[in-house]
Amino acid sequence: MPFDPTVLTSHLDTLLAGAWLTAEVCALGIAAAFSLAAALGVLAVGRGWAGRLARLYVDVFRNVPFVVQVFFLFYGLPEVGVYIDAFWTGVLALGLVGGAYGSDVVRSGILAIEPGVVEAAKVGGLSRLAIIRRIVLPIALRTAIRPLGSVFVNLVLSSSILSMITLDEVTGTARGVASETYRPFEVYAFLLAAYAGLTYAVSLGIDALHRRLNRHMADNGAAPGVIHGAAPGVAHGAMGGTA
Amino acid sequence: MIAVEGVVKRFGAHTVLDGVSLTVAPGEVVTILGSSGSGKSTLIRCINGLETLDGGRITVDGLDVADPRQLAQARRLSATVFQLFNLYPHMTVLRNITLAPELVLKRPKAEVDGQARALLASVGLAGKADSYPGQLSGGQRQRVGICRALAMNPRYLLLDEVTSALDPEMTAEVLAILGKLATRQPGGAGTAMLFVTHEVEFARRISTRIVFLDQGRLIVDLPTDQFFAADGGLAHPRIRQFLSKMAPAAPLAEIPA
Repeated sequence: MPFDPTVLTSHLDTLLAGAWLTAEVCALGIAAAFSLAAALGVLAVGRGWAGRLARLYVDVFRNVPFVVQVFFLFYGLPEVGVYIDAFWTGVLALGLVGGAYGSDVVRSGILAIEPGVVEAAKVGGLSRLAIIRRIVLPIALRTAIRPLGSVFVNLVLSSSILSMITLDEVTGTARGVASETYRPFEVYAFLLAAYAGLTYAVSLGIDALHRRLNRHMADNGAAPGVIHGAAPGVAHGAMGGTA
Repeated sequence: MIAVEGVVKRFGAHTVLDGVSLTVAPGEVVTILGSSGSGKSTLIRCINGLETLDGGRITVDGLDVADPRQLAQARRLSATVFQLFNLYPHMTVLRNITLAPELVLKRPKAEVDGQARALLASVGLAGKADSYPGQLSGGQRQRVGICRALAMNPRYLLLDEVTSALDPEMTAEVLAILGKLATRQPGGAGTAMLFVTHEVEFARRISTRIVFLDQGRLIVDLPTDQFFAADGGLAHPRIRQFLSKMAPAAPLAEIPA
């Protein structure tokens, strides 16, 4: 049977709607994961009970299969009276697990910050919150944003599991179309392309963020281009000015 | 006044500061000398609240730095320049300087910006306001560090081996600025400075007082001329030994006072 994409035309609307739903649930899930990762990453660095709690959370969510978490949220919680629809269950599940994986990345980014930089902010009198928001997180994210990108790409891939809780995202939709048309080759080729496109979009976004966070930072004094030997010329000028 | 009273600081079993007492009055320029590991930097870090005390008491204009609320107040009165500059790498030079005055002192942005640019110009970095720390040489970075501290209009300026990470040429450019700063209000009610340094000749020229730390104990606290007098600090064998080792490293003759 030759590859014949035209068999998809009558189902294209459905498939694209599924892809769009995947994009939506992933975008919201990634946003939730990002916020949670930042918050947990900051907390996990601490030595107090909050730090222990954050690290416990990370261990729990990384050691339970994603599909089990999804089932627990969607089929388990209603037993105790908590109903969340399939879409928001998906966002929540992606956010919870992405936050767990991402927090470890943020945490290592924070631990890599030169302590003196934070000390300078403390001595300057900045509040704890201002130090986290303006010093710690921006510096940590410079290095953490790329590995965070891998976590987010994985979230897009994991989102296919949400078809198991009745969400009409692109994998579930494709399976339906495949069984309807008996053209699994073309349908799943579309699915491949859809996920490749979505994850590529995530990568592009991460690249842009990385560039933005690291502008003018490629050289931390070690790179060529900053020639330290050139400084004395400037220095003499300055000394002349101050003499 | 900064008042250090019988301060004890331990790291594990090692006692770094062993009952140190010291005062710095407004307008004074006090230098702390001592060999590496004698506790000089730790003393500075205790005064600005980066280390907790194991004994004794430190107050800055009456504010006890052991109390978090009073420490927050005390930190508005003093500013610190660090050995490794500790500039915020993700912010421009200008933002490095204006961040704390804006956020902590709540001063208007335009005013702080203007002061920051004037400070940069005074240290010969007028053109570097929009550069990032990574684009500057070590000496330039430390000059920014000094501007950042001065932008807080501190009553007390704490300088922790600010030239130790710099080569002699960059050291000279930074000391020139500090020298100018110290002599601006000799003995007046201006910014008091507490120096930790290995630049003995420099300390001799700009300090009103010199204290000597040895193995966590403050063994001498004398006006500068008496410190270098044969019957003053030099009468102390430990100090004589220290100064004899330091003497050759003095490439400072050409620095304008």
